Amino acid sequence: MRLTCPFCGSRGVEEFTYRGDATVRRPAGEASAEAWVDYVYLRDNPAGPHQELWYHGAGCRSWLVVTRDTRTHQITEVRAARAVAQAEHKEGAA
Amino acid sequence: MVESLLALPPVSADPVRAGDTVLALAPMGEAVSLGAFAGAGRAALLARVRETFGVDLPEQPRAVASADGQVTFVWCGPTQWLALSLGESGAEGGLLARLRAACGDLCALTSQSDSRTTLRLSGPQAREVAGRLVPVDLHDAVFEPGHVALTLAGHIPVLIRQVARNPVTYEFLVFRSFAESLFHDLHVAMNGALS
Repeated sequence: MRLTCPFCGSRGVEEFTYRGDATVRRPAGEASAEAWVDYVYLRDNPAGPHQELWYHGAGCRSWLVVTRDTRTHQITEVRAARAVAQAEHKEGAA
Repeated sequence: MVESLLALPPVSADPVRAGDTVLALAPMGEAVSLGAFAGAGRAALLARVRETFGVDLPEQPRAVASADGQVTFVWCGPTQWLALSLGESGAEGGLLARLRAACGDLCALTSQSDSRTTLRLSGPQAREVAGRLVPVDLHDAVFEPGHVALTLAGHIPVLIRQVARNPVTYEFLVFRSFAESLFHDLHVAMNGALS
C-alpha cells in the first residue's frame, strides 16, 4: 500500500504509522457520560470508505487524514490533518 | 578555565571508493533548524527570510541557497527548514546569531550542528548505490539537483538531497549517532551495486 503525502508525494506505507479513527470529535466538557464513553471507547468498523489518521513519521512528520476503503485498501483522499481541522473550525465559526 | 571540547567527526573512516564512486564525510559546518511559530509565523518568516537572505524558503522538498551563497535552506517539513552553512559551529557572527537577529521572533531556532552529520556520495553510479537504500524515485527526470527527500535509508531516517548532476552527487543528512551505520550500509551498497 502506498500513500500520497500532500508534502512528500507517493511513499510506501512503511514510512507511516496508523493513528486511529479520524472521525471522532472530543465532546464538550459538560457532555453526558454516554457521549464520553462513545468518544473514548466506541469505534465504528465500517466495511467501505473510512477516514483514518496516519502519521508520516519517517518523512515530513505530518499528521494526515486518509480516506481508505477498508475492503480494498483503495486510497481516495489524503489531506493534511491540520488543513482538515482548519476547514472544520472555519465551518463551525461560519 | 573551561576548555571547549573539540568536535570529532562521527565517522573515522577515510573516504571509501568503489570504481569511480566515492563515499566521504562532508566537512562539518553549522546547521540550525527553523520551526515557524503557529499562526501568522509561517508567512511572516517567509517574508523575513526573503528580505534578509534574498531567497524564498522552499514550500516543496527543495534546497535553495541564499543570495550571498553562504547559507543553504533545506525544506524539512511543512513548517520547518534546516539552514546549513560551512561556518564554524557556535562562532560569533555565525549562522545561529545571524538567524536569531533576522527571524528569532518568528520561529524556533535550534542549533543542529552537533546533531546532524552529512555523508556525501558521488560518482557516475551514485544513483544506483543510493537506490539500493532509499525507497524514493531518484531518476534524474524526477529528482534533480536541489531536490530533497525526507525518507528512510534502510531503517535509518535521512534527509537526502542531490547537490550535483555531473558527477551525480547526493548528500545524506543523518543523525550523528546513525552516521557510522549509514556509512557502513552505503559502503556495502556500493560494493553490491558495482560488483
